[in-house]
Amino acid sequence: MKAISIIKKNKLLIFVALAYLVVLFISPDKAMKSVGNSVYYLVEMLQVLPVIFLLTVVIEALIPKEIIMRGFGEKSGFKGNLLALLLGSISAGPIYAAFPISKTLLGKGASISNIVIIISSWAVIKVPMLANEAKFLGVNFMIIRWVLTVIAIFVMAYITGMIVKKKDLPVDSKRAATLEIKEDYCIGCGLCVKLLPEYYEMNNNKAVVLKMPEGKETILAIKESVEKCPSKAIILNKEEIAS
Amino acid sequence: MDIFTIAFWIIAIVLTVISFIKDKKKTFAAMKKSKGMMGNMLGEIVAIIFLIGLVLTFIPPETIKSVLGSANTFVSTVVSAFVGSITLIPAFVAFPLVGSLVDVGASIVPAVAFLTTLTMVGIVTFPLEKKEFGTKFALTRNALSFGFAIVIALTMGVIL
Repeated sequence: MKAISIIKKNKLLIFVALAYLVVLFISPDKAMKSVGNSVYYLVEMLQVLPVIFLLTVVIEALIPKEIIMRGFGEKSGFKGNLLALLLGSISAGPIYAAFPISKTLLGKGASISNIVIIISSWAVIKVPMLANEAKFLGVNFMIIRWVLTVIAIFVMAYITGMIVKKKDLPVDSKRAATLEIKEDYCIGCGLCVKLLPEYYEMNNNKAVVLKMPEGKETILAIKESVEKCPSKAIILNKEEIAS
Repeated sequence: MDIFTIAFWIIAIVLTVISFIKDKKKTFAAMKKSKGMMGNMLGEIVAIIFLIGLVLTFIPPETIKSVLGSANTFVSTVVSAFVGSITLIPAFVAFPLVGSLVDVGASIVPAVAFLTTLTMVGIVTFPLEKKEFGTKFALTRNALSFGFAIVIALTMGVIL
C-alpha cells in the first residue's frame, strides 16, 4: 500500500526517470545532453527556491490576515477591492483553496466583485512567485504581466458583479438535502412519525425533525411523508438533491 | 546570479530576520508549514526540469520556433490558453518550463496566455466552483478569465 502511494505521488518523476533510461539505452549522447540542459535550469531553480520559501514564511508570519478580512463589507468600495487584491496575493495554495474562505467572506457580507478579486488574485498573483517569474522570464516580463493582470482582474470583477447577483448563488453550502417542519403549520397528527420514526419525533404535540436526510432511497421516503402531511408543514429543500 | 535575484535574496533575508525578531514562534510555525508545502512539490519540480532537458534535446529549437514562434500567433495563443485551462501543473514549475521555451525562440504571446489560464481558469476545478458559488458565477468567471488571458497575452506582445 505504501509503495503504491509513493508511486502515485511521484508518477511524473518516475515517468521522467524511465524516459531517461530508455534514452540512455538508445543514445547515451542525447541522454548526457539532456542532463546538461536540465542542470542549467536546476541551478537556476535552486537560486530562487530559498527566496520563494522565505517570502512564503514571512507573509504567513507577519501579515495579519484576520484584520484584512474584516475590511470588506457591502459598502467597502474601492478600499475593499484593494484589500481583496491584497488578501488573494499573499495567500498560498491553489485556486480551490480560495473557495472556502471566499464562501465565509460572502456570508460576512463581501460583495460578488470582491470575491472575484480574491479568487483571481489568489490564482495568478503570488508575491513569492514573482521572484520565480522574474528569474525565468525576466523582470520586464514579470512587471508588465503583473500590471495587466491586476487591471484585468478589476475589470472582470466589475463585469461579474453586473452579471451575477447574490440571489444567483447557492444559499446553503450543505451537501445534504435539508428538511424542516414549520411549527406554526403542524397540527400534531403524528402521521410523519408513524411513517418515518427515524426522521421525525413528537415534541410537545408538534413534530420535529431528528436528522437531515441522506441517500436517494430515504429522500424518496421523505418526499412521501412531505406529500402525506395534512397541513403541508414539512418542507424539503429539493435544490440540493439535484446536485 | 543576476542583480534582480540578488535583490530578491536581500529582501527575503531582511524580512525573515524582522519576522524572527517580531515573533519567533509564529515564524517557526510558518516555516514548518511552508516546508511541508515545498516538500510535496519538490519531486514534481525536479521531474519537470529534467523533462525540459529531454524536450530541448529532442525537439530542435527551429521546430519550437516555427510552432510557438511568430508564424500564426493568434492560433497558437488560443491553443496555448486552452491547454493552460485543462492542465494541472503548479505555476511554480510552469515558469521554468515556459522560460525554457521562450529561451529557444517561442513567442511570448502564447506563453503568457498559457501562464495566465493555467492558474486562473480551471476546467478540473469547475465542478467544485459551481457547487460553492453556482453555475452562473463559475461560468462567468471562467469565461471572462479565458478571454482576458488572451487580451493580456496580445497586449504583452505589443508592449514587449
